[in-house]
Amino acid sequence: MSATITFNSDVLPELAQETPKAPWSRRTAGFKRAVAIAVILPALIIGALFLLTDIPGPIIMIGIYLPLQIIASVIAAISQRGTKSAGDAVIIVCAIGATLFSFVILISLLWSIVSKGLEAMSLAFLFQNNEYISPSTPLGWGGVGHAVLGTVMIVTIATLISMPIGVATALYITEVRGKAVPYVRFFVQAMSGVPSVVAGLFILTVFILTGVLQQSALTGGLAYAILMLPTVARTAEEVLRLIPDDLRTGALALGSTRARVVLKVVVPAAKTGLITAMILGIARVVGETAPLLMTSLKNDKTVLNPIMEPITALPVYIFSNVAQPYPAAVARAWGAALVLMVLVAILFTVTRILTSKRPGR
Amino acid sequence: MAQVDTPQFRDLATNVNSHRGDRIFNRVITGLAFSALIILAGITVFLGAQTVPVLKDQGLSFLTTTVWDSLGTPPQYGIWGMLYGSILLSVIALVIAVPASLLLSIFMVFMAPKPLAKVMTNVIDLMAAIPSVIIGLWAFYVLAPTAVGWQELMNQYLGWIPIFQNDTGNFNGTPFIAGFVLAVMMIPIITSVTREVMGRTPPELINASEALGCSMWSMLRYVALPFGRGGIIGGIMLGLGRALGETIAVFFVLKLVFDVNLFHIIQSGGGSVATLIVSKFGDASGPFETQVLLAAGFFLFAGTLIVNVIANLIVKRTGRLQS
Repeated sequence: MSATITFNSDVLPELAQETPKAPWSRRTAGFKRAVAIAVILPALIIGALFLLTDIPGPIIMIGIYLPLQIIASVIAAISQRGTKSAGDAVIIVCAIGATLFSFVILISLLWSIVSKGLEAMSLAFLFQNNEYISPSTPLGWGGVGHAVLGTVMIVTIATLISMPIGVATALYITEVRGKAVPYVRFFVQAMSGVPSVVAGLFILTVFILTGVLQQSALTGGLAYAILMLPTVARTAEEVLRLIPDDLRTGALALGSTRARVVLKVVVPAAKTGLITAMILGIARVVGETAPLLMTSLKNDKTVLNPIMEPITALPVYIFSNVAQPYPAAVARAWGAALVLMVLVAILFTVTRILTSKRPGR
Repeated sequence: MAQVDTPQFRDLATNVNSHRGDRIFNRVITGLAFSALIILAGITVFLGAQTVPVLKDQGLSFLTTTVWDSLGTPPQYGIWGMLYGSILLSVIALVIAVPASLLLSIFMVFMAPKPLAKVMTNVIDLMAAIPSVIIGLWAFYVLAPTAVGWQELMNQYLGWIPIFQNDTGNFNGTPFIAGFVLAVMMIPIITSVTREVMGRTPPELINASEALGCSMWSMLRYVALPFGRGGIIGGIMLGLGRALGETIAVFFVLKLVFDVNLFHIIQSGGGSVATLIVSKFGDASGPFETQVLLAAGFFLFAGTLIVNVIANLIVKRTGRLQS
């Protein structure tokens, strides 16, 4: 007789069941199966509707697919986890839907910029100016060289104005620590909400309508500086806050004056972070169009004089080429958009690299 | 810790102020720190000074009527339609952007694996960095032609609801398209705030709710959303401030008409103060029309300033409660 113990599954049915490998796991095989069915079945139905009927696409996606997917997920959830999980199924489907929606928009944006922008791209487009070029001139002549130069000039002027003021504002909050700190922060935050068109109007009334300055790179830079200042000040404040107090007290203990502590210890220690603040500020303003339409206008020549002549910047170049009836002008607008987007992407990547290296972040 | 150290440190700082170089340094820094206030006051004073003669000349009808007759004798201006249009566009944008950004941040904080959430954070930030003129370009050539089709379908199937009525058959330059474009610009702004607020929900609370047997839905409904409510409202209002001031993207896709389009959101024509300023600025007939545009800018500035200040106060208050 063998000594093997056997049991009759008719007597003890619960022992005959397959023992679960990880009973605490929330994703059992049955659950995975139900999810798979809930994903594949609606997709198959939609695929069939797309191929076999001519119901318009948006109706299929919003009117049929979304409700169908929600119902399928709710049924799957209830069958596996009980009625309480129905809400989970709805919110998961909606969250994934919203994510896909945002990404479709972003991909559509980036794809159209790259694919349509490359049509106009050539060395001539990057370096020539727009003099003697009309909207109907075929591609191959004329380009954004003058606009790139204009953007660089305007942004440089804006940086030269807003960097000292922005960093000083941050230094007041973190180093001087005067009584007005909460008010200064409040005004900086309130300033970050000034619409770009209002910044342009302000510079227009103060400097141009009064006849003090002409519409030029300088006035454009002043308008940009207003928009750039809050970004610079807030980022610089965050950066300076990360400098440990030990450095300050140490330098004071060695006998330096307050001013020297700030200028020779704190600011050099925060150098990378302050550069990040500057680049973030530039990225904030480089695509602004509305203020420049009032303050620096447009000029098809290459302009080197920053105070006497109107000047074209990249966003204004795009603006003036949109909605033209000539395909060449539209292609130029897309080409300039690609150039501007590459500029923004470079600034964006540089800040990411700088901030990821910084300790304490 | 910092709160204990700071007072001593500040005493030290004030004592050293007797040094002459330090006194100059402190004064320069303090003076520069108030430039934000000076600029805000400057905008109020200079644009306000231009608004007074316009209101004197046009009376309150400047705010309550909708006309733009620069050649008439006397010329008549009224921006009510534009003010209302700005509000209508913002409402449309909020209806699209708020659920989308809330769900997006719920996905990033509570559902997505960590690496994916990190990538998504960067991608959303990149989306926020796209200049508005490029979004306008995309909206004019890519979105609008597609959205005309959507609107025709809406009119066909939902036309019995008054807001989706369109008797003119013209689906171009509608408030819906402009609001959609604004939503595209608002989603990254709102998401970056709500994501951060939701990410700050204390893990103890989440774990406790799970231990009590809450589903994810109940956890969101009773823990995460109430906890982050202030921050979420503040983020939405920051996005709203951006939408009110947005000029260029709307300029390309909205047909500006001097007529109040009350609620026909898929019918051509609408208004926006910011867009009015840009579209009329180029061909302003004289100094007075420019002054009228500056007055419109003043009201735009006042509106966005109020929205932004309230938003910042809400965000700040919840930040204090949480820490």
